[in-house]
Amino acid sequence: MFKRSRSGHVYLKLDDVECGLLEQLLGQIIELIEVPDVPASTDPLARLVGLEGPTDISEDPALARLFPDGYTDDAEAASDFRRFTEPDLRTKKLMCARISQATLDDWTGRRDLSDDQARSWLLALNDLRLTLGARIGLGDDSDDDIDFDDPAYHLYDWLTYQQGTLIEALAP
Amino acid sequence: MSVAPVEVSQPQVATDRPWVTIVWNDPVNLMTYVTFVFQDYFGYDRAKSELLMLDVHHKGRAVVSAGSREEMERDVSAMHGYGLWATMQKDDQ
Repeated sequence: MFKRSRSGHVYLKLDDVECGLLEQLLGQIIELIEVPDVPASTDPLARLVGLEGPTDISEDPALARLFPDGYTDDAEAASDFRRFTEPDLRTKKLMCARISQATLDDWTGRRDLSDDQARSWLLALNDLRLTLGARIGLGDDSDDDIDFDDPAYHLYDWLTYQQGTLIEALAP
Repeated sequence: MSVAPVEVSQPQVATDRPWVTIVWNDPVNLMTYVTFVFQDYFGYDRAKSELLMLDVHHKGRAVVSAGSREEMERDVSAMHGYGLWATMQKDDQ
């Protein structure tokens, strides 16, 4: 769990099992985000000016949730927007996951976090919850299908708890 | 001499019309997190951020900012960075 110390900084406290679990989950999301699953634009001009992002939303529900459309009423604008913004968004999400993962190196049970590290954890935990939420079918408008005995659901619940403690620790 | 027909300035109205950023409700993002994001990114105070968050939660969506198209693209992209589900459109209201 995350807490704010009396001296004002945020720290993270985990047992070894929890630490291993987070390391593994962060590794998985890094793998998921790292390799674009939708081919980049093949427009030569776009490539020339470095706008090589994909133009279509992913068919993977988790990636579609991490990188949603920016327009609902204009498909062309949505694909332009994606080409412009998705590469940068991927880089930022990767960075948050990597910074968080690095704070778990040589884990001894507790670690003080810088503001940047705490912030990276906040966003990385949210991305993990979005990914798991999509995997277990949250947001399908058919919450009846959710299997509450599914280990993925327990994991999701646990991540929700962890993120909750961090939000409390960061609250202005 | 004929008087040139007055151009109806419809296209101009269309481009001048402000754009809005809309945040949509989703079952994953925590209410406290959404409030935090509105405070953190837009600099809204806690009361305003909570009202907007409740709007998202109860009405399914809320307009969280308005401005030029470029500004709204920046806001939508930032919301996606936080993991909020946001889109932009012309303000029709």
